[in-house]
Amino acid sequence: MKQPLRIILALGTFLLLGIFTTAQATELVLWHAYRGAEKNAIEKVAKLYETKMAGTRVTTLAIPYDAYADKITASVPRGKGPDVFIYAQDRLGGWIESGKTVEPIGFFMDEATQKQFLPGMMDAMTYKGTVYGLPLNYKSITLIYNKALVKNPPKTSAELVKLAKSLTNADSGRYGLAYWYTNFYFHAALMNAFGGRVFDKDGKLVLNSKETVASIKQMMKWYKQDGIMPTEPSETLVSSMFNEGKVAMVFNGPWFIGEISPSVDFGLAVLPVIDEAGKKPMRPWLTIEGAYVSASSKQKEAAYDFAKFLASEEAGLILALEGRQLHTNAAIYKDKRVTGDVVLNAFHDQLSSAEPMPNRAEMTMVWSPVTTAMNKVVKGNATPEAALKEATRTVQDSINALHKGR
Amino acid sequence: MADPKTKNHIWLHLGLISFTVLALYPVLWVLALSFSGQQSVGLIDLPQDPSFLERFRAILPLPAHWSVTNFVEVWTEQQFGRWLWNSVIISLMTTLLGVFLACTAAYAFSRFRFPGRSTGMLMFLVSQMFPGTLMLIPLFIIIVKQLELGNTYLGLVIVYATTSIPFCVWMLKGYFDTIPYDIEESALIDGASRLTIFWRIILPLAKPAIAITALFSFMTAWNEFILASVFMESEANYTAPVGLRFFVGGFSSQWGYFAAGSVIVSLPVVALFLQLQQYLISGLTAGSVK
Amino acid sequence: MSISEHLKRSAILGLGISMLLALVLSALLFRAEERDLGLQERQRLAVLQANALVLAVADTDAEATRKRVQEIQKLDPQIESVIIVAGAQLLASTRPEDAAPRQLRREEKPLFDLSNLIRTARETNRGEEIVRKKTIQVEEAAQGHLVVTMPYLAAGEFAGIMQMQFNLAAADVGTVADDTVSLPLLMLLLALLAGVMLRLDAGRRIDFAKLLALAVFLVIAVFYQQQRIGRLEQIEKQDNKSVAASYLATAEQFDRLGYLPLLRDPAVVNLWDTDHYQRPRGLIGADGSISVEAQTRQLGKRADFIRPILWVIDLLAVAVLLMFVYGYAARAYAAFKAHIDAYIYVAPAMIGMLVLVFFPFMYGITLSFTDTTLFNESLPFSDRLIGWDNFKAILGDFNIYQSTADGISWNYQNFYWTLMVTVIWTVTNVTVGVTVGFMLAMALNTDGLKGKAIYRVLLILPWAIPNYITALVWRGMFHPQFGVINQVLQMFGMEPVAWFDGVVSSFITGLATNGWLSFPFMMVVILGALQSIPKDMYEAAEVEGASRWQRLRYITLPLLKPTLIPAIVLSVVWTFNMFNIIFLVSGGEPAGANEILVTKAYKIAFEQYQYAYAAAYSTVIFMILLVYGFFQTRITKATESF
Repeated sequence: MKQPLRIILALGTFLLLGIFTTAQATELVLWHAYRGAEKNAIEKVAKLYETKMAGTRVTTLAIPYDAYADKITASVPRGKGPDVFIYAQDRLGGWIESGKTVEPIGFFMDEATQKQFLPGMMDAMTYKGTVYGLPLNYKSITLIYNKALVKNPPKTSAELVKLAKSLTNADSGRYGLAYWYTNFYFHAALMNAFGGRVFDKDGKLVLNSKETVASIKQMMKWYKQDGIMPTEPSETLVSSMFNEGKVAMVFNGPWFIGEISPSVDFGLAVLPVIDEAGKKPMRPWLTIEGAYVSASSKQKEAAYDFAKFLASEEAGLILALEGRQLHTNAAIYKDKRVTGDVVLNAFHDQLSSAEPMPNRAEMTMVWSPVTTAMNKVVKGNATPEAALKEATRTVQDSINALHKGR
Repeated sequence: MADPKTKNHIWLHLGLISFTVLALYPVLWVLALSFSGQQSVGLIDLPQDPSFLERFRAILPLPAHWSVTNFVEVWTEQQFGRWLWNSVIISLMTTLLGVFLACTAAYAFSRFRFPGRSTGMLMFLVSQMFPGTLMLIPLFIIIVKQLELGNTYLGLVIVYATTSIPFCVWMLKGYFDTIPYDIEESALIDGASRLTIFWRIILPLAKPAIAITALFSFMTAWNEFILASVFMESEANYTAPVGLRFFVGGFSSQWGYFAAGSVIVSLPVVALFLQLQQYLISGLTAGSVK
Repeated sequence: MSISEHLKRSAILGLGISMLLALVLSALLFRAEERDLGLQERQRLAVLQANALVLAVADTDAEATRKRVQEIQKLDPQIESVIIVAGAQLLASTRPEDAAPRQLRREEKPLFDLSNLIRTARETNRGEEIVRKKTIQVEEAAQGHLVVTMPYLAAGEFAGIMQMQFNLAAADVGTVADDTVSLPLLMLLLALLAGVMLRLDAGRRIDFAKLLALAVFLVIAVFYQQQRIGRLEQIEKQDNKSVAASYLATAEQFDRLGYLPLLRDPAVVNLWDTDHYQRPRGLIGADGSISVEAQTRQLGKRADFIRPILWVIDLLAVAVLLMFVYGYAARAYAAFKAHIDAYIYVAPAMIGMLVLVFFPFMYGITLSFTDTTLFNESLPFSDRLIGWDNFKAILGDFNIYQSTADGISWNYQNFYWTLMVTVIWTVTNVTVGVTVGFMLAMALNTDGLKGKAIYRVLLILPWAIPNYITALVWRGMFHPQFGVINQVLQMFGMEPVAWFDGVVSSFITGLATNGWLSFPFMMVVILGALQSIPKDMYEAAEVEGASRWQRLRYITLPLLKPTLIPAIVLSVVWTFNMFNIIFLVSGGEPAGANEILVTKAYKIAFEQYQYAYAAAYSTVIFMILLVYGFFQTRITKATESF
């Protein structure tokens, strides 16, 4: 008869605690853009935090991705908005440059907290030497293949082309490989393999380099010469072709897993090594979502503590196993449930050759001109050299308009 | 009606049917996607060297397998019912407010001669001319910061109504202009007040016009997504378009869910249109009023 | 009261009200400027001291630094406290409660962040080889109490920040004693007096009295404003003197203490009197002399800022004056009283519009006269004001095409190209929408046609389903390899088309989608309008033997006009600004050739972060539509039909 007594005691303590703490109850608001399993997982973590920190209440708000950045930009600098919000690093630089949005948290952060993350993760949260967020999860692309068509995933580009050629039949719309190759985000894996960069370490634009040109030529070889990829690729095209068994291999990220139809038996492997780039591996960009303390928060310390909890091993396990996120906390990849998970493991493997996408505000200016350049090259309207030169000029012009002396 | 004009209209029917089929073709793809149980927009599946018939089968918008899982998921995963309800309330309030304000203004523009009349009309038109992309922040400042109407129905209703008023005023004024003035004149001579005339004569005669402006106001509020997501601060207050957008955008897009949700969301519009249709039926002629 | 009687009072009222308006507005402006000058002077004094102290401790070790800081703080009663922060450490402090050095406490996080901010600002300025970030932060903690934070250097390198708090409440010595009330009052009295004496002639467009009224107003207003500008210049000169004096006193003291030698040479750059970007102002030489040339430039800059604003104020007041002098005001008042009913009917809708549409409007238009970008949003408004530059850049760029070896290559990024595409886009879309809508409405209005209700409901479906997904379906239908349209072409033995590769074919994808989306709306509008055409008119026409075409031409179209014209005008405006379809279907492909003005403005704002440039773009779009709307309503008398 010990059990009920314990429960009563526990409940009593809990109630008492509740009574004492209601006077100074902290209410934290968390914004995120999740739905489905990810949303349930983050809500579970928030509930868990409430039980751990008696007197703290966490309210979560899901916001559709397409409105999320606008909502933050509209509300936080005007003193409204959440205490903590989750967003990928790509907007971080812009919010810091415009000010009054993201609170620097380097002051709160101790050595142990910094050290708990996978390599590279803190870089994405650091802007010009100041830490602004706690990394939560990462995404990168990797090789995903249809097991019915591919027995052994290719390790090198030569193997890839050979295998893909044998699986391609353009007349019936069947291809060995598909990815959104005109999209710069996807192309970056190839660019990084050749050693191309967007910005150098001082933030200067170095897009127009012989390495980047070589990477575009490599892509064109796959598309034109080898003919192993379909025309006019898009996210929709890639996923429906893969689901209909019309394409054997795709380069895609964890978000794609949920879109694969149950009838397709798929496997994952690390992106191949590019022989033409001196046997360097393809290095996809990492998109890293971080938890940021809002500059408009009235309780920044409490907000930081909550963000720290989101980045902890305990929360990480829930977010990884139930939310299917690739959490950044290194400790969770020692847990048996995670090591036994094919998908989580495969993306963790890809991490050994991957690098964070730049978090500079200027990055936003790069996408559209480079995509235009890639399209021109693919459609045969320009050489890679000429297209890149023009794109660089356009990007540099927009950057100069921002970097205006006072 | 034994009118000789009441023909079979075979050619007209043929034309209308073929146009309707063409017009519905993209809609059918949306339906096919929503009933496919899949998430990606289906592509044309062709064998090697397809024959004419095989090509024809491929362009028919039919899902590979039929399934209602998309609908079930959309309805159960989130509080979609609640969001639909919010949308209905907000859109109806917008319609009422928008049409009411527009009616009074349009009546004055149509029936009174006063200085500033054409400038006033132009002002309503002008309000449609500034591109909306940069309006978000100033609207946020007014509605959320100044009026503190963030997270309320009213905040959105005010914005939507003012968005739809210019259209309503312009259209209603056009319709009012076609109603002969002599009916009112005789009523005025009989001693009826302006308000009575407006209420008893103009409004009944302008029913088709009011039906159309009501439909328009409703649609303005019904499909709007960005302001609704920026102004609302709790999930319970979201509207249906906001809920729908959760399925797309960002890294992954569940187009199947989105299609199913779109079908659900368009049903109330169709229902409303069915209701309003009766006002579009011929018969309300000037002759029947005299 | 007759118009001429009104006019008698109009001169007094007009001169009085316009003068009052001009005086009040300019007085407000000058008061703001004077305040700004006062703040600027205090800031200069504080920054001067801070720069001096930072230089004085730049090459000393930590212990000596602490000592010097203490000493200076004791000597100068205006300095309330000095602290130096390096990283998370408080290196030095003159506050008695602090035992420096020590770690920063939790609540001192802002200091740590400020240090990082200033370090980043310094690095950014150096890395980008331009100066755009302030490295000195000045805050007015309370009236007259200034907190200055700037980089603390050790051996020429950034080592942390120094923060000094000053009490300069008593230091605002630059005020020129002046009476701010009696002069404007006198001006107003003069204006009223002139008003009483003037006799206006209602019959003549231009008479001596009207010209005189204008002249009186301008003379008085300009005299007053000149006088006040002169006063501002006096203050500014005074400020320079007091800053120079303060500089000399501090420099002598530092020289005496052996911190920094005083170089009595006017050619040496004074490094103490700097702006917030730590650039020497060049106003005061190292010997404390004031450079006349630089001072003239400084005064000119302020005057250049004020003058345009004064012009606007005067223009506004002149407009008010003319309204009265010409009797418009009197007539407007009379009209308002006579048509109060109409105004009451219109007011509710109008007020809603004013609040929710015209505020965002003004916001956008104001923004377009600045150079606001993501990077300088937080700077004060006056720092960002640049005038017409954005408009000049947009409208003055005639780089429309280049002649290359292969012929002419169009510059798709040019405004005029985009404008042309937008106009073609609008005209074709509205034509398609109206034609299809009209034909369907006519068909569905046929007497005795069965199944009308079903057709009507089915045909509004393109409008009812959220266009986000239908646009995607259309995009899919145009896919060169897997799209339905190319499949159909191939079914009939034609070659597939790469839709998004060509300028024209890509344009057609948008046109088809938007035409499809917009015809239901037009159809419904026209259907509604057809209801109000009395049937007996057709019957009468038929009896008289009018053909089907004649009935359409002489009955249907004229009677549709009052509703059709507004619908067309509105849909022109909407199509001009139709963002979604371009964005979702063709995305402006190829290479931005099919971008329309709004999608361009969106990209400038959200991909290039040039908010002000985008606002100017939007303003230009607005002006184009405004001109269109104005002419359209004039030509068709859309607002005057019946």
